[in-house]
Amino acid sequence: MAEPAYTVASDGETTGEEKSSSAFPEIAIGIDIGTSQCSVAAWNGSQVELLKNTRNQKMMRSYVTFKDDAPSGGVSNQHTHELEMLSGASIFNMKRLIGRVDTDPVVHASKSLPFLVQTLDIGVRPFIAALVNNVWRSTTPEEVLAIFLVELRAMAEIALKRPIRNVVLTIPVSFSRFQVTRIERACAMAGLHVLRLMPEPTAVALLYAQQQQQTIHENMGSGYEKIALIFNMGAGYSDVAVSATAGGVSQIKALAGSAIGGEDMLQNMMRHLLPDSEIIFSNHGINEIKSMGLLRVATQDAIHKLSFETSVQIDVDLGNGLKICKVVNQEEFQEVNREVFEKCESLIIQCLRDAKIEPDDVTDIIAVGGCSFIPKIKNLIMTTCKRQELYKGINPMEAAVCGAALEGAVASGINDPFGSLDLLTIQVTPLAIGIQADGNNFVPIIPRNTTMPARRELAFTTVHDNQTEALIVVYEGEGKKVEENHLLGYFKLVGIPPAPKGVPDINVCMDIDASDVLRVLAGVVVPGSQQPAIPVMEVRMPTVDDGHGWCAEALHRTFGSRLNLVTVQKKMQQ
Amino acid sequence: MSRRKFWTPLYATLRRNLPSKHPYFPASSVFKFPSPTYSFSPPSPSSSPSSPFPSSYDFYSLQNLKFPVRSFCFSTGSEEQSSARCWSCGAVAIAAPFLVCETCRSVQPVDHSVDYFHIFGLEKKYDIEVQNLEGKYKDWQKKLHPDLVHSKSERERGYAAEQSARVIDAYHTLSKPLLRAIYILRLEGVDVDEEETLTDPELLSEILEIREAVEEAADPLALNEIKSQMNEELNHWSNSFATAFRCRKFEEAVNSIRRMTYYERVTEEIVKKL
Repeated sequence: MAEPAYTVASDGETTGEEKSSSAFPEIAIGIDIGTSQCSVAAWNGSQVELLKNTRNQKMMRSYVTFKDDAPSGGVSNQHTHELEMLSGASIFNMKRLIGRVDTDPVVHASKSLPFLVQTLDIGVRPFIAALVNNVWRSTTPEEVLAIFLVELRAMAEIALKRPIRNVVLTIPVSFSRFQVTRIERACAMAGLHVLRLMPEPTAVALLYAQQQQQTIHENMGSGYEKIALIFNMGAGYSDVAVSATAGGVSQIKALAGSAIGGEDMLQNMMRHLLPDSEIIFSNHGINEIKSMGLLRVATQDAIHKLSFETSVQIDVDLGNGLKICKVVNQEEFQEVNREVFEKCESLIIQCLRDAKIEPDDVTDIIAVGGCSFIPKIKNLIMTTCKRQELYKGINPMEAAVCGAALEGAVASGINDPFGSLDLLTIQVTPLAIGIQADGNNFVPIIPRNTTMPARRELAFTTVHDNQTEALIVVYEGEGKKVEENHLLGYFKLVGIPPAPKGVPDINVCMDIDASDVLRVLAGVVVPGSQQPAIPVMEVRMPTVDDGHGWCAEALHRTFGSRLNLVTVQKKMQQ
Repeated sequence: MSRRKFWTPLYATLRRNLPSKHPYFPASSVFKFPSPTYSFSPPSPSSSPSSPFPSSYDFYSLQNLKFPVRSFCFSTGSEEQSSARCWSCGAVAIAAPFLVCETCRSVQPVDHSVDYFHIFGLEKKYDIEVQNLEGKYKDWQKKLHPDLVHSKSERERGYAAEQSARVIDAYHTLSKPLLRAIYILRLEGVDVDEEETLTDPELLSEILEIREAVEEAADPLALNEIKSQMNEELNHWSNSFATAFRCRKFEEAVNSIRRMTYYERVTEEIVKKL
């Protein structure tokens, strides 16, 4: 891949006034690319402002329509009717597809979308295609996202009357570092430089920190620490964060997230209304796509209405003799989506536990994202947190993008005379990072919710006598077994001095630096020696490219357990 | 995979050497990983402040900074504020500890003679008010965090990364009784070998008993009961550590640490099961 078109000049030779940037630093803008909707915000010199497109919209649908000529996205193009977006020519839900392999359940759930998502179930990138003049034209999630980002960039440049290069993006908590590289790739394709990536609820936490800071300024009171629980649920993902805020500094205490969202509820409802919908639509013929679109629109409308009404009448003719005429009430909706709601609840409980915070100690509960309007979601948040009401000072649809824009201004080194940018977020690792050891177990080295930057190491040893090589396979995630986690990369440690099993001391160290770069170091020591037996390996992760699910299997097939490692048993733990 | 460079060119030449430690996975005492080095100029053997700690414990090392050696005005092993000067503007330090210049707000290089208690403006003693740490921690991060010096020089960003990481570690260490105990003993030159084989048969059988109880505990209620029992033990041994330390009876102090380590582990196991 090509190097960026610009580089920051080394100023190692200069002393004294060492400002490397110009007198007017470019302010990074904040972008929230949602699964369903997207928005852009920027610091305008005194506050954060949401940018509007030429049709005066602040929220734009996240999709790209492929046509004979140039493709166009939801920023510039506006379908007169939702159905046009569902004709097969438009790709959407990119955020659910990016960086996932074709064995991923989330990819499988996407197969009922009107465009083509094909899986071979071997752990490679899924094939996606848009219908253009009755031809399935292939593309990739990165490409679709890049096309969309180019439109966003153009829109922001018109609104701000300056070129845009630096951006702060919000991402779901559950994104792996591999998925993050895919997002960065899409940005690079669109000519954007990612200054910072923020887990969505931490962007909301930053906005909250600013609001609390301003309240203190106004009341001239003393700033005591406030604990906030942020629940963010959009179409594709649910995230939870617990933050402790004081004096504009927001320390993230814990994060939790899952690829579960409004899209899952929509699909559950569609299946409820038309039980064999997946079979009917699996062929992706022109007529089926049309029926699928009609059902999707009708179901979506019904879910929206159920946020305000107790029951709703669905009456839709899908063509091909398929008609749905049904009354659905809230109880039915809740029953159909019981698993979704249970998952949300468990995420909140897990996050509170990880933060070591009791519900009573939480100052404010903040619910954001499109799904925070669903009554059941509001209720379950309040019940789980033992609270009567939610925080009202934040716009649920604009919170994340506003936080990202604040971070953009702070990270660009902008100062505000009124102290509105006197802010800082201290992030933690959203997922544990570790290696495969003790069979196919995942052994975390940096646990989740570790304050960044971080450096941790753990000792391992060989499983065979005279084992001279070891495979270091790096994973990220929460599963106990490696296959439940995201593969980040692998390398082989060679030249281990021959010794009985269990004798060589193999240290694996993981280092996340101030700019969130992960490096894995591995070294071998023979007991009694002070020096590493062989040069230490230092590998920047992730190293995997596409098809990483397949890689893990191939490694297993090739090496079996020959190059395995085990953790060194703690003597005190026996 | 140069992709990551797209958003990290600013830090590409930074290096950092965090103290690698975790209460239950102590760093191997045999060898240390070198800090990741990605410099494009040869490392210069220069102003490496010597660690005041007698152990092999590796804190931050600045020796690989890529900047040419110059005679900076700050003195590395400075005793208090008197002689310290800002590397950037030359102003004399007003307050101690001198982590940030009060005049030009530049982040200063790590001074290893400043211990964790000093950073938090505390007297060097075991019983401290933990509640007050978070505020001070955030105050420091607002001055030191690498995110806030994005537009500053590469050199200052390096200092910020190290200082900020050190403050995180200081906060983490001081806020946890066990870590604080180990740290304060280390400042006295006493190293606690957490890997040491157990010899006290009384403690051994007690531990085995507790472990069994945890394994057999059928419901959260039973687990929580053991947990509160462990908390009591932790408090008890924390107090006896404090007493032993005050009287400089280091052997007793180490013994208390050993106890605390066990009870902490049991608590962790319970939390996992809950």
